[in-house]
Amino acid sequence: MKRTIEAALAVAAVLSPLAAMAWTKSYVVEWNEPAMYYGAKTGVIDPGTDCPQGTNPEVDWIKVLMDAGYTREEAEWLRNPANPTRSPVHGQNQMAFRGKNRANVYVNPTSTPDPGLVGVSGTIGEGIDLDGNPKTGFTSPTGEKGIDNNFYKTLGCWKTYRGPQRLSSGALQFNDSMRNGGWTTLIVVAGKGADPMNDPNVTVGIYVSDDKMVKDGNGNIARDYTFSIKPHPKYEAIFPARSRNGVISSTQPTEGTLREPGYWRDLELLKAQVKLEMKPDGSLVGYVGGYRAWQPVYQGWVSARGPVIEALTWVQLPGVYYALKRNADYSPSGPKGEKTHISYALRVEAIPAYVMTPDGTQQVAAVESYKSSAPPLEPVRFAATSFRVIDGIVIDPKAKHQAGPDAVILPPTNVADAGK
Amino acid sequence: MKLRFNRRSVLKGLLGGTAVYVGLPALDAFLNSNGTAFANGAPLPVRFGTYFWGLGLTDTPTGGTRWVPSKIGPGYEIMPELESLAALKDKVSVFSGFRVIGDGRANLVHWSGHASILSGIAPAAASKFDGPSFDTKVADAIGTSTRYKTIDIDASVSRQPVSYSTRTGSTFASPDATPLALYTRLFGPGFQDPNSDDWKPDPSIMLRQSVLSAVTEQRHALMKGLGKADQMKMDQYFSAVRDMENQLAVQLQKPEKCESCVVPAAPKELPRAASVDVVNENTKTMAKLLAMGLACNQSRVFTFVHTAGSSETYMAGQSKIYHQITHDEPTDAQLGYQPETSKLASQVMKGLGAFLTELDAIKEGDGTLLDNSLVMAFSDTGYAKIHAIENIPMFLAGRAGGRHKAGQHIAGKGDSVTRVSLTAMQLAGAPVGEFGAGSMKTSNPIHEVMA
Repeated sequence: MKRTIEAALAVAAVLSPLAAMAWTKSYVVEWNEPAMYYGAKTGVIDPGTDCPQGTNPEVDWIKVLMDAGYTREEAEWLRNPANPTRSPVHGQNQMAFRGKNRANVYVNPTSTPDPGLVGVSGTIGEGIDLDGNPKTGFTSPTGEKGIDNNFYKTLGCWKTYRGPQRLSSGALQFNDSMRNGGWTTLIVVAGKGADPMNDPNVTVGIYVSDDKMVKDGNGNIARDYTFSIKPHPKYEAIFPARSRNGVISSTQPTEGTLREPGYWRDLELLKAQVKLEMKPDGSLVGYVGGYRAWQPVYQGWVSARGPVIEALTWVQLPGVYYALKRNADYSPSGPKGEKTHISYALRVEAIPAYVMTPDGTQQVAAVESYKSSAPPLEPVRFAATSFRVIDGIVIDPKAKHQAGPDAVILPPTNVADAGK
Repeated sequence: MKLRFNRRSVLKGLLGGTAVYVGLPALDAFLNSNGTAFANGAPLPVRFGTYFWGLGLTDTPTGGTRWVPSKIGPGYEIMPELESLAALKDKVSVFSGFRVIGDGRANLVHWSGHASILSGIAPAAASKFDGPSFDTKVADAIGTSTRYKTIDIDASVSRQPVSYSTRTGSTFASPDATPLALYTRLFGPGFQDPNSDDWKPDPSIMLRQSVLSAVTEQRHALMKGLGKADQMKMDQYFSAVRDMENQLAVQLQKPEKCESCVVPAAPKELPRAASVDVVNENTKTMAKLLAMGLACNQSRVFTFVHTAGSSETYMAGQSKIYHQITHDEPTDAQLGYQPETSKLASQVMKGLGAFLTELDAIKEGDGTLLDNSLVMAFSDTGYAKIHAIENIPMFLAGRAGGRHKAGQHIAGKGDSVTRVSLTAMQLAGAPVGEFGAGSMKTSNPIHEVMA
């Protein structure tokens, strides 16, 4: 069975002598990550053209806590791994309460002054020219001007995101989850011209599937497996495009939502575009870009347990909040509106796959929307865990002492029976 | 003179009105002339246990590793993080490249790995297994003729005792979490609060007077009937017990009074975390006790937890715990791996080395207790930085009474972890033909390591 369906539509040909041979190519995304240009030669924290001082430095939490009003003794006690409440499983909950009057900085990040976040100062970036203005944004590694990716500008020096392609810790973590069956993203490309490499009338559809990817013996995602599209009320994006020398580019922006490899899951893009290249080996690589709301992204990190994210990834979340807000570059309500969105690009690598219609009876031969046949949106079901996160911290309902603005920090009050 | 003790004998005595028991090791007198079986032809028992540690071993983002030997088969080289196993290399098989296949179930971090290895099923929830842990199947098969069907031990010094042994998937065993608890289980009645209305002997008295003194008469009678080699073995054995008693007694002695000291309220729980040197020392102490218990036929099956899945152990003096370091430490550009993580992994592996050494220190027949045991050691994750459930480090240690062709490196190439589990069950003597569910269901053990 061929993936490229060059089915002569005999009936259509009879009806219209001008009808060309339609074609379809289909893929499964085997890797995707925020497009973060890496400007160093090696390493993660090392300086590079993207981040001349290296990554955002490790945080001195003793100082942060003392700046927030804790005594040194209290701060050192909180950061001492020997103390019972130090466990990151429970998120060192007291770390949240370092805002003004010990407000929770995760849900109220402006309750503390901006602690700063090292951003990208290099000029090279990856993504798509979303606003059509070559004077704004980065220059691509191949020299294209006007690449809009303020998400990268904001977070590209964060240790979680920095690293060579496919090697940043964030990309590894979430792609590992995806490749182990967490979710499956499909891409269908259909054209109406005779040459898929140069076709002025192309449509790109991005869908999800309930079918899981399969790994080969080397741990790579196997090619040419079969996946059925799952009609989904949210996860679907369809892009009008054209191909030129094998590069598929949007002809007009659209809106769509992808399943994101990150804590926040929903990549809802406005003014969305694609720039994807059909490679000689049959793969499809490139970018899906657009403007995304930045507050849900911030909330994703908070919900992933603020103190854990902060401790493990060397940032202060209020600094991330301020930086995203500062660099947001799009307002859905117009140029004068509040900039609630930030330019973004997802780097995508997809391999050939057989993509079937939702009922599994036939290969898809065109790109179309399946939203109308999707069941109602189900509440997000996070993987079952033994803890629950409220306002960025893990709450143990059985605990005798809870973190909070008025919590007593030092022993003996807490030491003897903390965590009970 | 006909020896009135046999391999099933237990020395019994009364101490403070309570019965105490001391089992016996496999003395030469109980064995055939070659020391390879009991005198009546029955084979020496094979013991089985699981040994778990948290946070895997160190891989690198580019596919490198600090623990997987490059040589496949016998004679594998000792990698940096396996250094503590070097002395026992010929008794340890290394299994790399095996993975959890979730069939669409999410990777529940620090849970899916060992849950799948033990139950054969990728779990749906992070606090439960979707089936019993396979050690219970082994216990049902080989653990029915001993005082305890299984002994569950937790050396991690965690806030809550940790065990991954379960018959239901939802209720886990209550392990002995201190050396004292383990000692009390093995060599006397359970520890009782001396101030409780339901008074029972104070274990400190038991220790001071020595369990052995309660069985003096029987011990002397036994020694008289033994050959010189067995007498030496018994002396060695009882000396080891005595050493352990002395070590434990220190923990029970009331310290000298000190005027400046204000006695705080007694902690109701142990600290939630402990430095790795403390955990390793705890491991060694409990391994020594366990080894005695196994040698004395108190049980043939055990489960042992060194550190929990999301281990909270740490290097003494550091402000970060091991778990945090695995995630936040960047890969060193020159070295190509996370140096602090690797250092901690090596420390954690010292626990396994010490554990196996204790089993190997007890002579049994023409070999050691370890030779007659099979210990399956494994972790919850492969490359801990990203919670990988591929290349989870797994080991089979001990010769299982000759059933295990030990000392090999087996490369799994993406096979399910359940193949190793099934192999372990069969080597231990459990009549199990297949294990696991879905893509992890297998009836194909690893024949290369089976004699």
